[in-house]
Amino acid sequence: MGAATGQTASLAAPRKAGRLNRFDNPWLNIKLVVGVIMVGSIILMGIFGPMLRDIDLAYVGRSPLNLPPVGFENMRGEGGDPLHPLGTDNSGRDMLSLIIVGAPNSLLVGFVAAGFGMLGGIVLGFTSGFLGGTADDIIRLSADITITIPSLLVLIVIQSLIPVQSLLVMAVLLSLFAWPQPTRLIRAQVMSMRESGYVKMAQLSGVPTSSIMFREMMPNLLPYLAASFIGNTTGSILAAVGLEILGLGPQRLPTLGRTIQNAIDNSGILRDMWWWWGLPTIILIVIFIGLLLINLGLDEVANPRLRKATRQ
Amino acid sequence: MRINRALLLLLTLALLVTLTVSMVSAQMMEVPREDTVIFDVDGSNPTNPNPFNHNIFFGHSLGAAGGNTGTGQSVYEPLFILNYETGVIQPWLGESFVADESQTVWTLTLRDGAYWQDGEAVTADDFVFTLQMLLDDETARLYRAGAFQDWVSGVEKIDDLTAQVTLNRPNPRFQLDFFSVRIGGSFQMVPEHIWSMVENVYEFSNFDLEKGYPLGSGPYKMVSASENEFVYDRDDNWWGAATGTFPLPQPQRLIWVQTGNDDIRSLLTINNELDSVMDITLGAFEAIQAQNDKVIAWQAGMPFAWLDPCPRRISVNHAVEPWGSADMRWALNHATSRNDVVRIAYEGTTIPSQSMFVEYGGIIDPYINRLAELGMTMNFDADVAAAQALIEGAGYTMNDAGIYEKDGQELAIDIQTHEGFIEKRRIAENVVEQWRAAGIAATQTNVAGGSWNDNKALGNFEATGDWDQCGSVNEPWASMDRDNGKWYAPVGERVVGNNLLNRWQGEGNARYSELVDQIGVLPLGDPAILPLFEEAYEIWYNELVSLPITQAKKLIPFNTTYWEGWPTAENNFNHPATWWHSTHQIIQNLRKAGS
Repeated sequence: MGAATGQTASLAAPRKAGRLNRFDNPWLNIKLVVGVIMVGSIILMGIFGPMLRDIDLAYVGRSPLNLPPVGFENMRGEGGDPLHPLGTDNSGRDMLSLIIVGAPNSLLVGFVAAGFGMLGGIVLGFTSGFLGGTADDIIRLSADITITIPSLLVLIVIQSLIPVQSLLVMAVLLSLFAWPQPTRLIRAQVMSMRESGYVKMAQLSGVPTSSIMFREMMPNLLPYLAASFIGNTTGSILAAVGLEILGLGPQRLPTLGRTIQNAIDNSGILRDMWWWWGLPTIILIVIFIGLLLINLGLDEVANPRLRKATRQ
Repeated sequence: MRINRALLLLLTLALLVTLTVSMVSAQMMEVPREDTVIFDVDGSNPTNPNPFNHNIFFGHSLGAAGGNTGTGQSVYEPLFILNYETGVIQPWLGESFVADESQTVWTLTLRDGAYWQDGEAVTADDFVFTLQMLLDDETARLYRAGAFQDWVSGVEKIDDLTAQVTLNRPNPRFQLDFFSVRIGGSFQMVPEHIWSMVENVYEFSNFDLEKGYPLGSGPYKMVSASENEFVYDRDDNWWGAATGTFPLPQPQRLIWVQTGNDDIRSLLTINNELDSVMDITLGAFEAIQAQNDKVIAWQAGMPFAWLDPCPRRISVNHAVEPWGSADMRWALNHATSRNDVVRIAYEGTTIPSQSMFVEYGGIIDPYINRLAELGMTMNFDADVAAAQALIEGAGYTMNDAGIYEKDGQELAIDIQTHEGFIEKRRIAENVVEQWRAAGIAATQTNVAGGSWNDNKALGNFEATGDWDQCGSVNEPWASMDRDNGKWYAPVGERVVGNNLLNRWQGEGNARYSELVDQIGVLPLGDPAILPLFEEAYEIWYNELVSLPITQAKKLIPFNTTYWEGWPTAENNFNHPATWWHSTHQIIQNLRKAGS
């Protein structure tokens, strides 16, 4: 549990150490809080960064070439420039501006792809789990088949054939493989819920099926949906970065994968230009760890058995 | 018991496989590293996709017989080699190739005493057989068969060392264009006594090491081939040395290896596991030199590089509106800063193009200088105001996003680039930003090599970063002829040899083509060429058929740890393109380090 929760607990009546406080808020568990802070900082950077930094510097030819971060030297012995505190690449892109624009862009692709996937998963999962019968057979079989398809391979082929110039199109392509997992998860939960008393009661009361599905059952599934969404976001970002490193996806729009691809293409490691690949890699690590912590935190919210008791 | 027997069987099989592999390896003689030269396969991108097919009339784009994996560089010899430094065509397997006054009858004389690797003499019969095979190729799929069918009306043997070729029309450049390794490859003669026995030339792999195939007349024989390595051993019985025409090359073994990206090739060079590397980036070269001071390039200092004869350009598809308008193409040109492309995309390793031609020090300079005198050279810096005036003149207005639009449609253009070429991608990345700064919604798309080639040939592009003005080296006709209207094919139909891929048409093209055809029949250096050249180029320039951008740099590192004598600006016996048919000359000049 978070520190704030701990302080609240210490003001309450004395309790035995290690017991759960029924007033503890499961949404404030430490993993979730730290994860949200990490991912939130990237989002905030995307919102406020452009107000503090000229993001046009993220594009080709806007800055001097090959500058190291301030305090370091490049292979030619040139020092950094305070105007470009994180250095520049060999095409004159400013690394700080690249990160400010590229990190939220990469996160955005993940969120949008996972969002579309989740939307599909909700509709198909509820339909499959609640209605059963032939609809269930078709949806279940489709999801099972899609899961077995090597998505990255197919995406490489698709993007080789259809040049992608927009992050949204890329996200939509990624979402083609982001729906089966939430579909299966939701279907399983709905199948167990539909036998619950409150669902039976609603059915007997003549509540329309769509209302039962989305107004009665859905709120109970929110933690599962959120966890699945975050898992899908991670997968989508990973796929997007993979595609970008292979040279696919929008060429002009700055993203973390595109930045790493540029570093690889131009021998960033051999030339000791660590800031070309190191900085986007660090941001990717922050994003992935943040998303993982959010996922673990949501798992605790959904599964009380995982919650640790508040220390007194 | 059953398990034990199965295990025994497996062990026996494994032993057999090991023995077989050992025997195969043992067939290749051990050659010390210091007697071996290891070449990088042209940017680790073999032009021949099948390592077990060495039919020299297929499977390569450069025309260097056998592609860029060593066959053309060491087994098959060219008849002549154009010296880029002097402009002189030097004899190799051929002794002379002269035209009569009409420039329609060409007489070839072969070297006396040359023989194939199996001892059979190289004769005019081999030449006649090979050329006739190309003339008879109804499919025109054999390398340059179409071009020979266009030019040649007949070929006949005069005597064992002499053959005569009769052309349909005068061509003073016949030897230069087809037989002298002008760019990449050249006509390759094959032994009649072997190829005449081939039932289907299209399916002949020319690969059987036991029979000695591929069998040429060069100083090396192939001893092994695999997906990523090609090994050739010296034939001490080579005709060149036996007749005293050339010395026997010093390297006992040549290896061409396909390794990977710039990083891998650089590390292998640093570690002395590569002696010759194909074009790499300036940054990678600097990293190599920082760790291995034995590595050199064409020039000792910046820009280190050699100018490849294929300048880089951006082709705009005239069939896609609004780019069919010369004014709109000029708008793109005004929005382009060639100096910035050189500074950013090349990090200063090349120079901006003044015209469609390669600026290969001196040979073609008089023509380029004349263009400069006439004010028909390209701008090096952008003139955004001039670009915007032309765009606005075409009825476009700028929207809030800073992009021009007309009738609700943004002024957009997409530049297609070959995904495998970092150099061309970086040019396009830079130009895209320049054009956007002028209000044009430019984008760049990386396309897989095969699709990129198809798109160019079929006209499925708005703009493309290419080098298809390539041709001229020591005279202007070859590059100019590539925009000749005779090559026209509508969008959806394939153009021949990527000529006129921009689909330029109209009165300008008709007159231009007429003038180019007139230049084509005049001997090199004929004073009558200049006025025709000026008039034709003026049409081309006014319509700005395509956008020359930069000269092509090739930064080719050579490792002097084991071998010296590599071509450099100082030791300029010829150019340093190790993936061309002229590599025979480079191998001839190699000396063991310290010897």
